[in-house]
Amino acid sequence: MGSSSSSMTNIPDAQQLIQETGFSAAHILRLYERFEFLDKDKRGELRQETVDFASFVRILAHFRPTDTSRTRDGAQQEPANSSTGKLKSAFQLYDQDRDGKISRAELLQVLRAMMGIQVTEEQLHSIAERAIQEADLDRDDAISFDEFRQSLEKVNVDHKMSIRFLK
Amino acid sequence: MPAGTGAHGPAGSGKTLPERGLLLLMVLVLLPLGAASSPDISHKEVLDHKAADAPHNFTKKLFPVLSLDYKHIQTPFEISLWVLLASLMKLGFHLIPRLSGIVPESCLLIVVGLLVGGLIRLAGEKVPPVLDSRLFFLCLLPPIILDAGYFLPIRPFMENLGTILMFAVVGTLWNAFFIGGLLYGVCQIQQDNPSNLHQLELLPCLLFGSIVSAVDPVAVLAVFEEIHINELLHILVFGESLLNDAVTVVLYHLFEEFSGVGSVTVMDCFLGIISFLVVALGGVLVGAIYGILAAFTSRFTSHTRVIEPLFVFVYSYMAYLSAEMFHLSGIMALIACGAVMRPYVEANISHKSHTTIKYFLKMWSSVSETLIFIFLGVATVDGPHTWNWTFVTVTVILCLVARVIGVVGLTYVINKFRIVKLTTKDQFIVAYGGLRGAIAFSLGFLLDNDHFPMREMFLTAIITVIFFTVFVQGMTIKPLVELLAVKKKQEAKRSINEEIHTQFLDHLLTGIEDICGHYGHHHWKDKLNRFNKKYVKKCLIAGERSKEPQLIAFYHKMEMKQAIELVESGGGVKLPSAVPSTVSMQNIQPKKPPPAKPVERALPQLPKGREEEIRKILRSNLQRTRQRLRSYNRHTLVADPYEDGLGDLLLKKQKMIELEKKIKDMTNYLTVPAAPPDSPTMCRARLASDPQAYSMKPVSDSVPTIQVDLASPQSPDSVNLMDEFRRADHQQEEDQGLMMKPPSGQRAPNKPAEADGAREQQKLMRCLSDPGPSADEDEDEPFLP
Repeated sequence: MGSSSSSMTNIPDAQQLIQETGFSAAHILRLYERFEFLDKDKRGELRQETVDFASFVRILAHFRPTDTSRTRDGAQQEPANSSTGKLKSAFQLYDQDRDGKISRAELLQVLRAMMGIQVTEEQLHSIAERAIQEADLDRDDAISFDEFRQSLEKVNVDHKMSIRFLK
Repeated sequence: MPAGTGAHGPAGSGKTLPERGLLLLMVLVLLPLGAASSPDISHKEVLDHKAADAPHNFTKKLFPVLSLDYKHIQTPFEISLWVLLASLMKLGFHLIPRLSGIVPESCLLIVVGLLVGGLIRLAGEKVPPVLDSRLFFLCLLPPIILDAGYFLPIRPFMENLGTILMFAVVGTLWNAFFIGGLLYGVCQIQQDNPSNLHQLELLPCLLFGSIVSAVDPVAVLAVFEEIHINELLHILVFGESLLNDAVTVVLYHLFEEFSGVGSVTVMDCFLGIISFLVVALGGVLVGAIYGILAAFTSRFTSHTRVIEPLFVFVYSYMAYLSAEMFHLSGIMALIACGAVMRPYVEANISHKSHTTIKYFLKMWSSVSETLIFIFLGVATVDGPHTWNWTFVTVTVILCLVARVIGVVGLTYVINKFRIVKLTTKDQFIVAYGGLRGAIAFSLGFLLDNDHFPMREMFLTAIITVIFFTVFVQGMTIKPLVELLAVKKKQEAKRSINEEIHTQFLDHLLTGIEDICGHYGHHHWKDKLNRFNKKYVKKCLIAGERSKEPQLIAFYHKMEMKQAIELVESGGGVKLPSAVPSTVSMQNIQPKKPPPAKPVERALPQLPKGREEEIRKILRSNLQRTRQRLRSYNRHTLVADPYEDGLGDLLLKKQKMIELEKKIKDMTNYLTVPAAPPDSPTMCRARLASDPQAYSMKPVSDSVPTIQVDLASPQSPDSVNLMDEFRRADHQQEEDQGLMMKPPSGQRAPNKPAEADGAREQQKLMRCLSDPGPSADEDEDEPFLP
């Protein structure tokens, strides 16, 4: 996979990343190789969004399959790949202004991106309207994280948001 | 219905009039059944009579005014009698609620079959060989499988396909060889028994093992439908029972062929494996081809809506028959056909055809299932039995043991590859749910008596295993599920949120997989979807709907469903407790247990009621999108006045319900769809759902003004209210911008409404106590010119 040397010493903050995300050393290595592959200009960051390797790993950590047999000590932070962590990362993709709620405009934006030119604005509006009506339990005209989680209660998030590759 | 009939006689004192009538009817049905099964006697009599007459050349007889010719109609009559009996049995069980709660229907039906067989035998007649293999495989089995395949939940099925295949293929193979091999060993141990088990060779044992090891879809469906476990377990056991057909077919034919020859070489094993692949994949291919043909045909049915369901049924049946012709797996062909054609056919056909297909499939599969179990009972009474304690008990024990070991072992291997592991509880349910059924019996019945002198013993053992699994396991699985607190199926409706978010996650995961460079599950699914959208949909779906994204289709479907619910519920006074009744109208599962827990239902009702209300408010959008829909083929074609007027009716009824509920809930939680101004119809519609009247913000002061509580549609004042709104409408029509300015909009609709407020209050009270309207007379109103 390219001429990059496959040694852990090249990777910045490897140990810290392992600690934080729960990936194994082999995983970090593999992800680093992938990062190198994507980073064609050798800028040390991925284009446009300027994601450096650490952020790259942190984002992908959300999609690691859930550890079912993990003992949780109280002091430890919620791991990134638990159900809540996964849902939170998905929620943040909707909620771009980070106000903790998905407003109608944000929902419309996502819907537009998903369906784009195939549907009319009115149809998008109706769907967004209905979605908010259904999910919004506290009647604040936006979907909070808990409402989001509740509307996905039937979906097996552990299964849906995990990539086996990252196990 | 029981509540209604119970009112006639003394409550709870044994049999009421309808039940007596039912019993009488059943007896009447049984008598001719017994008489009908001995056709030979009457036939011979007629022959003798004719022979006697022949020498006399046309002796003049009196012209027969009334004559009995049973022979003429015998076969259809018998068939109808059996079907009638089956249906009456089904009716009967549900009149005895306690019994149907404890004992699964399949058990009761087998008992009925035993009784019928016993009665016929007591009457001295010969029991008809009803579970004829040809009848079973060609007539009784296909409806059940088609029903299962057409309504197969594709997403969970595909997600768990690996697990299901492992259980189906490897599990069945393991079962067959384990049971067959150990049985052979046990038979060899038996020395000089009067039952000469010693003679049983290896190959017949293996054949028997392969017959008895297959989990039966009919039995699984019958039992699992009543216990409502979670989707994952259901799809695992059910998928396994469907897919193991290929394995069973191959093993059966393999061992049957070689039992004649007597020895199996390595080459034969190799050919067997190839044969398995051919049978399985060939079956799926045949099914898929017919499915595509059906989808393509449905593209052109816009002018002949009436025969649309026929295409679905006939193509599927032909897929089954074609597969059986080549000795491929007919079940897999049927499943593939149903699953492939469904998305395209549903996009093409009209809503009524869709309902027709659904109900026909459910009806046929239900009757089929009932008949199969009854026939099992009858065949038990009929068949020549050779009871051999050793053989039978060893078989039963081995079946259980093999199943448990197989499931545990396979799960251990499978869990290494699964993201969400199968727990011990899951494994137990999967193992315990491995029921055998009529397919095993029919396969055994097909055995040739010359090649297999032990045929009767096999049949006895098979029947015992079937009885054991259906009765013991079938009866105890429900309490066990409760005891182990296995996750149950969630009854909540599929929400549009779920759909949106699931699609969103699909896209997200595809992207992430792409970044990781990992060609996983989502990657291929995405590729398939793209291919589907680009090429296949254009071919198979008529008109504009081919470009409709899935989410829009889903949204329309939901809106349509609720609109119909609304009309069916009569649009009248319905307390939130009535919401389940509208839900149950959609629920066409024939074996749904009676909702005997009103207490539990009380709690989630209010949110559901609110939910319903919001959805109905949104119907204003339905009108708009329905108007948009009119450019699609399937709506503009048939100028159905009912459907055209439906929109207006819906809106009127909907606003009535909304306002009623408003009074009860006394909270304001409506939000305003930011809708652009539209035609006057739209304006009225928007007013009808009057979100504007209730302001954008949750302002409580708007609530008291809405003292209008509309009486139920039966109230004579409902017509006046229409006028009210029409009047209010006029005041608003010129002001289209009203939609955006809530404060000014509040006045107009409330003023005329307020006047009626006091008057309507009492009417509402009266109507609330109404048991429920039959909205027939009201429905006619808008359609009268």
